[in-house]
Amino acid sequence: MVPPTISSQQVREDLWRPLAGASRRYTLILSLLCAVTFWGVLAWGYQIRVGIGVAGIRRPVFWGFYLVDFVFWIGISHAGTLISAILRLTDAGWRKPVTRAAEAITTFALMIGGLFPLIHLGRVWLFYWLFPYPNSRLLWPNFRSPLMWDVVAISTYLTGSLIFLYLPMIPDVAQLAQFAKGWRLRLYKWMALGWSGSDREWHALERAMKLMAGIILAVAVSVHSVVAWDFAMAIAPMWHSTIFAPYFVVGAIFSGLAGLIVALNIIRKTMHLERYLTPHHFGNLAKLLLLMSLFWLYFTFAEHLTVWYGNEPKEMNVFGARVRGHFAPEFWVMVFVNFVVPFILLGIKKLRSITTATIASVGVLLGMWLERYLIIIPTLSLPRLSAAAGKYSPSWVEISITVATFAAMAALYMVFSKLFPIVSLWEFEPHEQEEG
Amino acid sequence: MSEQKHSWGMAIDLDRCTGCQACVAACHAENNLSVSDAQSAAKGRAVHWIRVDRYYEGEFPDVRVKYRPVLCQQCDEAPCEPVCPVYATYHNDEGLNVQVYNRCVGTRYCGNNCPYSVRFFNWFDPVWAEPLQLQHNPDVSIREGGVMEKCTFCIQRISRAKDDARTEGRALKDGDVQTACVQSCPAEAMVFGDLSDPESRVSQMAKSGRATQLLGELGTKPKVFYLERAK
Amino acid sequence: MNLYLTGTFTDKKAAAEAIKQLKADGYTANDLAVFSDEPVEFPRGVLDRSSHMSLAVVLGAIVSFFLVVGFVYYTQHDYRLVTGGMPIFSFWPTGVVFYEITMLGSVLTTTGWFVWESGLLRRNENVPIPPIEPEMICLRVRCAPEQFVSATAILEKAGAKNVAKLEKAA
Repeated sequence: MVPPTISSQQVREDLWRPLAGASRRYTLILSLLCAVTFWGVLAWGYQIRVGIGVAGIRRPVFWGFYLVDFVFWIGISHAGTLISAILRLTDAGWRKPVTRAAEAITTFALMIGGLFPLIHLGRVWLFYWLFPYPNSRLLWPNFRSPLMWDVVAISTYLTGSLIFLYLPMIPDVAQLAQFAKGWRLRLYKWMALGWSGSDREWHALERAMKLMAGIILAVAVSVHSVVAWDFAMAIAPMWHSTIFAPYFVVGAIFSGLAGLIVALNIIRKTMHLERYLTPHHFGNLAKLLLLMSLFWLYFTFAEHLTVWYGNEPKEMNVFGARVRGHFAPEFWVMVFVNFVVPFILLGIKKLRSITTATIASVGVLLGMWLERYLIIIPTLSLPRLSAAAGKYSPSWVEISITVATFAAMAALYMVFSKLFPIVSLWEFEPHEQEEG
Repeated sequence: MSEQKHSWGMAIDLDRCTGCQACVAACHAENNLSVSDAQSAAKGRAVHWIRVDRYYEGEFPDVRVKYRPVLCQQCDEAPCEPVCPVYATYHNDEGLNVQVYNRCVGTRYCGNNCPYSVRFFNWFDPVWAEPLQLQHNPDVSIREGGVMEKCTFCIQRISRAKDDARTEGRALKDGDVQTACVQSCPAEAMVFGDLSDPESRVSQMAKSGRATQLLGELGTKPKVFYLERAK
Repeated sequence: MNLYLTGTFTDKKAAAEAIKQLKADGYTANDLAVFSDEPVEFPRGVLDRSSHMSLAVVLGAIVSFFLVVGFVYYTQHDYRLVTGGMPIFSFWPTGVVFYEITMLGSVLTTTGWFVWESGLLRRNENVPIPPIEPEMICLRVRCAPEQFVSATAILEKAGAKNVAKLEKAA
């Protein structure tokens, strides 16, 4: 049964209502999130003051939670890539209400993820030495290092993402400026760049978005490959694997999609956008999530089968620890929430719904965090010379900062959705929205 | 006088090594290594530029204990060098893998990529319990927190010996340079010298039929030769 | 002194018809502008605007590539890097950096070209802009005073509402 179409006036009202004022609940939750974020900032400050030893990292596990979080957040940032770029390029119309939400996730996740290379530095006050700037000591960074590739790749992706988020917002803020007052009016007018809605402007915008979609897709694939190469370029057992680059890209799209589904469900409920983010959208996203789950399973299986069959002693050491040994609980939980749960909840048509898609997505977020943990920690704690082996456990500083990043993400998102309509008004064609 | 080109290397005779760890203590004294308390050591924060790895073989009562002193192998194809984003570690022309403390920003990638796990990180600014801070070697800098460090083949002793030789107007002889660990080994299991000099003791030992390299199959080209009887 | 005339359409076919008539009457694409709150797709040939954005982006990417390779090559040599045996400049490991900066160059070129091609920041203050009404397509015609009547007739014949002279907003 096809529901009646919604008038453009109603669409505008519905999409702009969240922008007007903040409810008690909103203020309370935002304050809580800011408090948690602030606690994380304090923890980081403590770490800088006292020394990075307040974290749980140790020899031989020189990289711990911070790198796990880094890879995790950069992975989440692929939400936008998938929806905006891939779906835009394939002209999938149903993606339209979802693009801005996805792009916002990308931009904020990148900002947060990009902090972690700073957080994990031993002497963070010298971070600028990683940039090529003229200096009297005639020192220059080493572009050979995958960490330098990280710097360049993430800067490029962040710039591209910000622009990709901003450009389609221009027509919306131009419209908002017509009705705004005070500081909002100044903000929207400034952002609108004098947009008047002429056909010349629309053509240029659409052309630019098409080009940006292709470029962003190429950049996003490279960014997560570069992050993967932080590990794959090292000769540590079970790191030096050629599958890492595509594995991480697939995992990133997988986790990004999960993050998007969770965010969209929250947006839908709290902003009463049930008519715009319909079961049809969630159905498509759920199917994509299932597809990515199968992709992820395939890559994981291929990686593990190869290592197990090759039977190289140092690698089997790490393999055994992951599958049967010390890390087995985390490993099997990961397999369960990354594959079994999505397969059942989303594969069986009767069970597929917005709620189950969200449950599966929360599981995937946990599972993908665990996957990053299981890539980094077991390999480092079981080095080639077994006499140097060691266990890692995170300290309160690392846990605080990790939790704070989730709070920061949510807070940034809440502020963003109060300033700008989370569903793009002009991309959303009111005559087609229920057909989806 | 033309500068000699050296290629420093070490040979360790595992059939002589008793696992006494005098080398470890000497290295601590010579290189101003931080001293860890029991808690830090339990957390894996202890720093031992040279350590004695102990392996047990066999079942009781036929247990054999094997000792292997492991220190930075000064690899000619060091995996730690390409991955440092700021060139804080590089290969000098005497074959040493040098760590530039002032340049290190503490990404710790080098530590992850070292297959021998010989790199150590300063998690905090080091603190010595009284009166150990009076025992510091003035030739070696104190590393601040956030900086990576490792065995340098006592580069301060190499520099001192080269200076002395230049002052006296002579070339360096085999045996002029002794690293702290080599100097203190009571079993005389360790030998240090110039691998580019075919007459040096270390070159002779490296050519021995008992000479092996640790994890040589990785292609790191280490400069430490372990001599052991093949089973 | 040119005048600006606007007419509002609800249907893009009617707007396309009006544009065809105006063009037959001698107006060029530069005299016409269509304002809307959503992009309006006209059939090919009605109101085409030429664009060199793709070419510009490709050129921007190529220029960025050469710039970054040159930058890396010359700075790595000039700074007398102590690589300890590794080559001063190695193309493949540094290739990632080249790729990323090339893409960054194309991103910035796209953005810059968009701002230029859309005319956003080049706006002439004296040209009036009609207000955008939801779901309406507003056609603005620039004509000479003596053509005002004929242009009005064309617009009304095509079905435009509120055909009037556009005054500059105060």
